[in-house]
Amino acid sequence: MTDGPLIVQSDKTLLLDIDHPLSTECRRAIAPFAELERSPEHIHTYRLTPLGLWNARAAGHDAEQVIDTLIKYSRYAVPHSILIDVAETMSRYGRLRLEADPVHGLILVTTDSAVLEEVIRARKIQPLLGARIDKETIAVLPSQRGQIKQSLLRLGWPAEDFAGYVDGQAHEIALKQEDWKIRPYQELAAEGFWHGGSGVVVLPCGAGKTIVGAAAMAHAKATTLILVTNTVAARQWREELLKRTTLNEDEIGEYSGAKKEIRPVTIATYQVMTKKKNGVYSHLDLFDSYDWGLIIYDEVHLLPAPIFRFTADIQSRRRLGLTATLVREDGMEGEVFSLIGPKRFDVPWKEIESQGYIAPAECIEVRVNLTETERLSYATAEVENRYRFCATTRTKRDVVEALVKKHQGEQILVIGQYIDQLDELSEVLGVPVIKGETPVKEREILFNKFRSGEITTLVVSKVANFSIDLPDATIAIQVSGAFGSRQEEAQRLGRILRPKSDGRGAKFYSVVSRDTIDQDFAQNRQRFLAEQGYSYKIIDADDVFQGKI
Amino acid sequence: MEMRSFSDYLRSVDDEAFLKLFNARPDLVAPVPADIASLAVRACSAPSLARAIDSLNQWQFQVLEAAAALNEPFTLKSIVAITDKAAASALEHLIGIGLVYPSDDGMRLPSQLRDVIGNEPAGLGPSSIAKIKIADVDKAPPEAKKVLERLIWGPPRGSVGDIKNPGPGVAWLLEQKFLVPLDQRTVILPREVAIYLRGGKVHKESFINQPELSGAKRIEHQVDLAAIANISTVLRWVEELLNFWADEPSDALRAGGLGVRDLKILSNHLGVDESCTAFITELAYLSSLISFDAQDRIMPSHKFDIWLMQTPADRWQLLASQWLITSRASGLVGRADAKNVAALGPELDRVNAAKVRALTLSILKENPTVAPDAGSFNNVLTWRAPVRRNSSLQEELANWTLREAEWLGITGQGAISKYGIEFLTGEDLSIINQDLPKTVDHILIQSDNTAIAPGPLEHEISQQLAMMAEIESRGGATVYRFSEATIRRALDHGKTGDEIKSFLSKTSKTPMPQPLEYLIADVSKKHGKLRVGNTSAFIRCEDTALISQIMNDKRLEILALRRIAPEVVICDHDATDTMRILREAGYLPAGESATGIMLTGARSNRALTKPRPPRVIGEIEIPNQDILNSAIRAIRTGEKSTHKQTHLRQAANEALGALPRTTANETMDLVNRYILEEKSLSIGYADNNGAVTHRIIDPIRVSAGALIARDHATGEVQSFRIPRITGVAPL
Repeated sequence: MTDGPLIVQSDKTLLLDIDHPLSTECRRAIAPFAELERSPEHIHTYRLTPLGLWNARAAGHDAEQVIDTLIKYSRYAVPHSILIDVAETMSRYGRLRLEADPVHGLILVTTDSAVLEEVIRARKIQPLLGARIDKETIAVLPSQRGQIKQSLLRLGWPAEDFAGYVDGQAHEIALKQEDWKIRPYQELAAEGFWHGGSGVVVLPCGAGKTIVGAAAMAHAKATTLILVTNTVAARQWREELLKRTTLNEDEIGEYSGAKKEIRPVTIATYQVMTKKKNGVYSHLDLFDSYDWGLIIYDEVHLLPAPIFRFTADIQSRRRLGLTATLVREDGMEGEVFSLIGPKRFDVPWKEIESQGYIAPAECIEVRVNLTETERLSYATAEVENRYRFCATTRTKRDVVEALVKKHQGEQILVIGQYIDQLDELSEVLGVPVIKGETPVKEREILFNKFRSGEITTLVVSKVANFSIDLPDATIAIQVSGAFGSRQEEAQRLGRILRPKSDGRGAKFYSVVSRDTIDQDFAQNRQRFLAEQGYSYKIIDADDVFQGKI
Repeated sequence: MEMRSFSDYLRSVDDEAFLKLFNARPDLVAPVPADIASLAVRACSAPSLARAIDSLNQWQFQVLEAAAALNEPFTLKSIVAITDKAAASALEHLIGIGLVYPSDDGMRLPSQLRDVIGNEPAGLGPSSIAKIKIADVDKAPPEAKKVLERLIWGPPRGSVGDIKNPGPGVAWLLEQKFLVPLDQRTVILPREVAIYLRGGKVHKESFINQPELSGAKRIEHQVDLAAIANISTVLRWVEELLNFWADEPSDALRAGGLGVRDLKILSNHLGVDESCTAFITELAYLSSLISFDAQDRIMPSHKFDIWLMQTPADRWQLLASQWLITSRASGLVGRADAKNVAALGPELDRVNAAKVRALTLSILKENPTVAPDAGSFNNVLTWRAPVRRNSSLQEELANWTLREAEWLGITGQGAISKYGIEFLTGEDLSIINQDLPKTVDHILIQSDNTAIAPGPLEHEISQQLAMMAEIESRGGATVYRFSEATIRRALDHGKTGDEIKSFLSKTSKTPMPQPLEYLIADVSKKHGKLRVGNTSAFIRCEDTALISQIMNDKRLEILALRRIAPEVVICDHDATDTMRILREAGYLPAGESATGIMLTGARSNRALTKPRPPRVIGEIEIPNQDILNSAIRAIRTGEKSTHKQTHLRQAANEALGALPRTTANETMDLVNRYILEEKSLSIGYADNNGAVTHRIIDPIRVSAGALIARDHATGEVQSFRIPRITGVAPL
């Protein structure tokens, strides 16, 4: 029994005591193979998963190292079953390899012919295979490289992909670090990605994922396709790239609803890519229109299914996924692993905060009481309308008003789900509203005004959830959301996490109706952030009115 | 004194030999036999012999088979000739446990032994009656050789189309008497020929030494660490299981035992697979920690409360020692492609379970620091116990034992731990208390509504926490999660919101996060707005004055009325009684339909019935040395008095010329002896009506409770049922 910082649980979770002197060392040691699940203030939870262990194998770690690390840092005896499981799981990786053969093209090679026999008999695998070459080798249809990786992963025999990448058409790109400097973690992330070939980088909102993308492009020095969530985000990528890299305006194209430019660096939106014309995805050809050397997926947790399918077909190109939360509500993490690539970099939010790269934020839940009449109507409302009812109560309006008044002079965002509510708030507060139907042009004008400080308060719908760059927003007030979505909460907090010029902290208010389903959803929504170490403070609406906070 | 029968032999041996015999065959002194004759009879009975043979290892059994292949009397030399020189010590062991015994003219086997090991030991046929020239076998023509090859290693019988018209090979062999016809279609290879063809030996290979046990080498320290972790885990499992049942007792199946669905629920709760869950439930059952109440609900027994107060070492010892001796095999539960057998049900007993378990553990104990491979382990096991009654499950039972020993912490990383060794040798186990990780008395509450106990919690704290929070992850540490439902549960258990809060802030090393404080406050505010209680009957009246009147009526005190609202009174008597009493007091009540009353029981249940742990079926335990010594004394004394009585009786018989009279044991003893001596006997034999007649017979053998003998009066071989033989006397 040592006095280590790590406790290995029988359900394969690892608890890391971060107040322990060895915790940093231990975190570094386990990060390659364990997935960070929660990082609240005292004990961080990691989990051993097959994906994580295979990730580690892909990065060149073997079972021996993993087991040694567990034993070395463990406070108590490590359950034997876990050691066996680690060895067993890791030994499954690498028995199958995808290789490029000069004669046969893409081949699946094994070191264990029994495994090959097992997988080629699987119904899902058979149609992807070509001719049997010898006992340990079989040809694979080159177009099925992604598909076979995906299917093998589901069978529990992940294939190591040695078939390599095409370089793509070379294009000179370099970082232009004149008045700024790349942060150490960004550099680590870009390097981690580059050495791994393909993969996903997980960084908190506001931690500068765009720069990781730019740094990756500087590594690749090749034509690049960037897929982003919407047009506004596309424009921001463009501006950021112009500022941070040697690229000039003519080299960057936008492929969106409005423009269809194809340039050495092209930024396309998910929306246009998945638009159907006569039942076919006509824009997916973009993937083939250039000999891309790198494909970047922004907000990879939102990647729509058709793009997944297409991504399976471009396995020979390098792929970089960027996201703040790898939590997919549809449970397609396995697809991200096999098609985009394993997680290459990940760091707890609070660690970046402590380094000063994201602003410290205070999360406050404001509880409002429903009036007696509201309570009665709430109790009798249809189940499906209940959330809408309690999320949009009249009392919330007063609280928002009071909060906006209290923070007068600061840049404030009021975020909500229901358009009626937002319209009403915009009217009461006398500020503009941005919603789905607001034209891009108008949106940009408003954002620019907000940025310049001409307007200090904006009411936004969920269109602003992602990828809008509002450098000086310090206050966010959330009035309603997409039910219990944890990821939405994280994204919204991300809006105010960019470091402020004066080092000020940000405030995130969430206005919630007491004793209703709104409160239950709020609890669920807060879970992800609470697990990242953001502690919510709960206050009463009355405290707001009386100016107690 | 001449010495030919087994009882003669027993009379000649010293106390030390008796001790050895009784240690090896405890069934011989349970109960203590009256004298040496009855001891000999018991030792030569088929069940006892079969038990003794069970205890042989493969080499000893091979030697016994070789002995059975020889004609009696035989010598050590003749056995060595057909086996190996190592046979001497094996033979000594066989003599020691009474499977072979020396007589005046050589070694002999107890009369029924051949029946027990079969007529064809080691696949050898009977001896040839005719004289044969064995060396001529080598001259056999090729067809004959082919036939011989098929019969050499047994079974020694072969079928031919027609004995009168055999093929050329068979014909030659029959002619040379190398094959003997049994009936129209069957021939048999005589023993001598087979042994000759086997190269003068009985067995193809002599398995003199136990095979080496191979497997992963472990480091002792690591083994002990892993084992202590297992020990703390199994204690936690049992405690959690019983706490679960205290909250929500499972219903036993009508056929007995735990349903598959309940087992699944438990398995989810404990976070282990179903076979492990079955094992844990059985452990609790064996140790009397649970009981089935009158409604067949499974609940913790009072013993559980006592158990909880004991030290970990004592708690563990209770579980492990019950497991060690049980005849129940929890591995049978939920086996793939087998009939579903319920945990805690009546179908788990297997007669050889405890024996295989003990053997498995002793093999582990002999090989410290080895985590055996399954294949190698089974080889050793087969060598140690080559012939077993009910051997079908032997391999599985052994594998289950290995698995369960690991769960229990007798082994760690598959190799025997120091705790296991100490447990098996009956040493003091308090070292477990010292080696278990130190308990911690605090938790860390975090703002995501989880609390972490960074080590095993003190019992009191863990009980409290288990009530207030759901366990999310188990192991060295425990992760608890608070939610509305768990706080409600704590309130249901009678805690108040403030108590919960102060308990948590007292126990937590970290400040209590505000959201949790709010959660507790919110739930306790809502808790208990609705009230539910038990009642039998209610009295309702719109006239509140009348209600007040009955509340104050002295004659109704017996009803123990309680007013829960101005117009409603309740009482614990049922409606019929209540009405009767009210009427007697002069009121005019009328009944009202009384459906819809929910009956809920107390939350933490204990069975009222006494626990009935399953009884152990199987082998007889070896009594301690004192009992054995006193058994020997008792037998010796009995022997002396029997001797005297027999003499007296015989003298009387002779004087009266009456039918011979002997006790049942003497009868068997004498019969066995005279079979060997091939003497004629005079017996008294009772017919169907109880009339006793005098018969003169030549005994041949004893089989299935009957004496096969030739009756001089009829000249026919007939069977005499032993219980009807009233007495035996030599002629």
